[in-house]
Amino acid sequence: MPVETASRVARTTTGRGGLLARKRHRELLLIWLLLTPALLIFLAYRILPLLWNGVLSFQFWSPTKPAEWAGLFHYEEMFVYDDVFWTSLYNTFLYMLTAPISIGIAVVLALMVNSRIRGRGVYRTIIFLSYPLMVVAVGIIWRWLYDERVGLINYLLRQAGLIDEPIAFLESYGTALPSVIAAAIWQITGFFMIILLTGLQNIPPSLYEAASIDGASRWSQFWRITLPLLRPSIFICFVIAIIASFTSFDLIYVMTGGGPGHATELLITYIYKAAFTLSQFDYAGALTIVMFVLFVGIALLGNLLAGGDAGKVDIAE
Amino acid sequence: MHNYPRWPIHAALILVSLVMLVPFYWVFKTSITGENIFVYPPSLIPVDPQPFFYVDAWYAIPFPYFFMNSVIVAVMVIAANLVINAAAGFALTKEFAGKRWIVLLFLACMMIPFHATIVPAYLVTSHLGLLNTHLGLALPAFSHIICIFLFKASFDAIPPSLIQAAKIDGVPEWQIMFRILLPLARPAVAANVILSFIWSWNDFLWPLIIIRDVEMQTLPLGLSTFLAYFEDTTGSLYAFCVMVLAPGLLVFLLAQRQFIEGLTSGARKG
Amino acid sequence: MLTRRWMMAAAAALVMTAGALQTQAQEKKLTLLTWNLPIYEETFRGWIADFKEMHPDFEVEWLDKKGTEWAAFYQTQRIAGTAPDIVDIQGMLWAEYAADGGLLDMTPYFDANPEIRERYNEEGLKLWTYEGGIYMLPYYFSKTLLVYNKKLFDEVGLDGPPKDFDQILDYAQKIAESGEGRSGFITLNFDWLYWSLFAMNDIELLNEDMTEAAFNTPEMVEVVTKLAEATKSGAINNISWTGRWVEPNNAFATGDIGMYQGHGAALFWIMGQADWANGDTLGVVEWPGGYGVPNAHGLGISSSTQYPDEAFDFVQIAMNEKWQTKMADTFTILTLHEAVDEALIAKTEDPLKKATLETSLANMDKAVATWVTPLDAKIKEAFWPDIQAALLGQKDPAEAVADAESKVNRVLRRAR
Repeated sequence: MPVETASRVARTTTGRGGLLARKRHRELLLIWLLLTPALLIFLAYRILPLLWNGVLSFQFWSPTKPAEWAGLFHYEEMFVYDDVFWTSLYNTFLYMLTAPISIGIAVVLALMVNSRIRGRGVYRTIIFLSYPLMVVAVGIIWRWLYDERVGLINYLLRQAGLIDEPIAFLESYGTALPSVIAAAIWQITGFFMIILLTGLQNIPPSLYEAASIDGASRWSQFWRITLPLLRPSIFICFVIAIIASFTSFDLIYVMTGGGPGHATELLITYIYKAAFTLSQFDYAGALTIVMFVLFVGIALLGNLLAGGDAGKVDIAE
Repeated sequence: MHNYPRWPIHAALILVSLVMLVPFYWVFKTSITGENIFVYPPSLIPVDPQPFFYVDAWYAIPFPYFFMNSVIVAVMVIAANLVINAAAGFALTKEFAGKRWIVLLFLACMMIPFHATIVPAYLVTSHLGLLNTHLGLALPAFSHIICIFLFKASFDAIPPSLIQAAKIDGVPEWQIMFRILLPLARPAVAANVILSFIWSWNDFLWPLIIIRDVEMQTLPLGLSTFLAYFEDTTGSLYAFCVMVLAPGLLVFLLAQRQFIEGLTSGARKG
Repeated sequence: MLTRRWMMAAAAALVMTAGALQTQAQEKKLTLLTWNLPIYEETFRGWIADFKEMHPDFEVEWLDKKGTEWAAFYQTQRIAGTAPDIVDIQGMLWAEYAADGGLLDMTPYFDANPEIRERYNEEGLKLWTYEGGIYMLPYYFSKTLLVYNKKLFDEVGLDGPPKDFDQILDYAQKIAESGEGRSGFITLNFDWLYWSLFAMNDIELLNEDMTEAAFNTPEMVEVVTKLAEATKSGAINNISWTGRWVEPNNAFATGDIGMYQGHGAALFWIMGQADWANGDTLGVVEWPGGYGVPNAHGLGISSSTQYPDEAFDFVQIAMNEKWQTKMADTFTILTLHEAVDEALIAKTEDPLKKATLETSLANMDKAVATWVTPLDAKIKEAFWPDIQAALLGQKDPAEAVADAESKVNRVLRRAR
């Protein structure tokens, strides 16, 4: 427990006596007290549940039967035999394409709404408007837009003469995942745009002025000033996008339920299915652990790619 | 850098705005249209607009109840997030042994998907005796890690000299938080309010699992019940969607300036 | 300090809520969990009122969850040891809960009250029998049928419903070719509802003692190939293999599809959507060969209940003639309660509905896809995705059948 650590640290400091040490002791106590509520929440709702999954993943377990040791059985099952796991892993990576695409679009949009043009406040609001929406409702709306017979998208494409036959966007193997990804991008891009916009506004104008005097083109200014200084903001977007890619349960659940086949199955929807539909809570536990390890790895890698210090400066240290 | 044509930017932004707005329009159009919504080709403007679907949705679901529950939970979540995240964010601005590990722990916790931990989370809530209560609904959302870091970044940006000056003026240390830091971190406060509101307002699976009484249900559950009544073949569903979305949009529109500033400062490094 | 104060307040709140919960646990209470029937609330209240007349000291809580979320809710409750006392379960899912000890074997109650058993259609009751025990009381029942669009049949010059598999495909092809946007055949596909297509070709899913897959045969590959070809040509509407519930029903409701395989409840739903659908425009017959896949609900009792006797009293009240007549009248649906079903058929005037009800009860012994196994959900999940891919032309039929076989076998082996 953090609190115990704190008091232990505190005791040793007091032992030495002196005003400074007592002050330090009080400060440490305060620090740990301030951290405690958050730590308790995470302990109860993140760490304990993760441990629960971890323990189950090494057992044969069902709600009404006593547990038996299973060793690596579920992990072997997953990696060697279960091609749905591999499909959903692959889909999850594809789904992560949401990150670069939406961040890319968001950078362009942020630059545009950051320029001195009339009505930029209105543009910002409109573009952000989709983010606060309830995801379940967004799923329902987009399913309606994608409808094969009377959906707006099919109607527009047919009117424009781009297609002859309506496309069953959410029911075809080839189009289901891209269609869901498009809806996800629609929802999150505005949020990224705002984060990046704030990043842009924090870049001192003097840097651009100096560069202009040096004769740097706008293009090279973008690459040499804007982008590097935006890195912390981009990193935040990246982290949020990664988290979104494994919490996009509601959207998939409402729009396709993981189908057709497993064409839109993500790890998170597969975990849900394995646990509740197939009653394999032990196996779902193993999937959860693998997913957790995977995402921590990706986050670390992302941090590294972002220049290592970019993330650290802003988030970690 | 001031002499460049503006119209391509306007053209692009208008196009993007259209893409963003059309889904809203389409669902609204469907919700008030008077003709069969399955007619092809669909009309681009509403035919015989009428409020029938809204009346239908209103009577199918105890909307005021659901709305109030959503509001109560959102208020609890927002308040808790402000207090807990500000406290933790403030603590992280200090140096102490084990800080690195705490930060890593927070980051790792971000990577634990809540949907995969529903069952143990339910067991925890059950042990706390909080099933079927507003507090039980709100508790898992009491702290968002991103928001902790928003506060930390915001506190870091406050010049230490200000705090030093306050101390010299005799402000007790524990009051510094409320009298100096929080007022200066107002944008982070705004970001916390809005983000925790959005996340609590939209939560679907958690209330589904822990709420038993109809009187305790929140709006997203109303949506699910709605689907159970009508499948998705009726304009009433889309009317209900509009009713569910409107409050969130309203809150955002009212608070957007603060919010956008909040995120701006959050992204700035200290 | 604020943090401390907050924690104290939280602790106080915890203690208070825990206290409140404890007093609550002292009263006698039953919980009823139904499956996607919020619309039927009034009747559930009626059950509860009748039950409270018998047991005035009991409270009854009613919960309803949509099918897609029912399992998440029920499973969580099971793990927490607070499973709802009385549960409404669809299809064969109950066998899994029965096998792992989650459901109460009601046979002793049946033995003690022989008149209960006599109420029911005997073949129907077999749907809820696992290893000699009866675990559910039939609640409502329907079976897949063949519905055909008479207008399209006349137009193409077909004088009656198809008699066998090849005729189904042949008719479907003719209808699909008869006009723009038309297709010949559509089926529902959840819960094995499509299985008659395979059963009529003498394909068995599992061997006799359900230890091994038995469907990897040349006949199966041939059937899948034919279905895939017909799907590709448009004779079979591809929503057959992708749609859930709304999509295929909506598609048939447009009137552009010649034949439909689905159960009575779905057909009535279509009739509610499409005003053109009636006895003049649609014909309902048994599936060629008399096959049919049941789609049924039953009420069971969780073995974790503290009050099994009272729970059974409740189920018995809910399933008595009075309330099942209400069920039948409200939804025009069969209940397997023989007296109620006879009365329902007698008083149903709409010829299409009458025919549907009669046809559903015919040939109960040829009901297929009724394998009572705790592995039902897992087998379905192992079998369907590959076959689905083959039907949609994404995978070679022979390969898909072989892959599905090895996956099903793996499920069966692992369970042993």
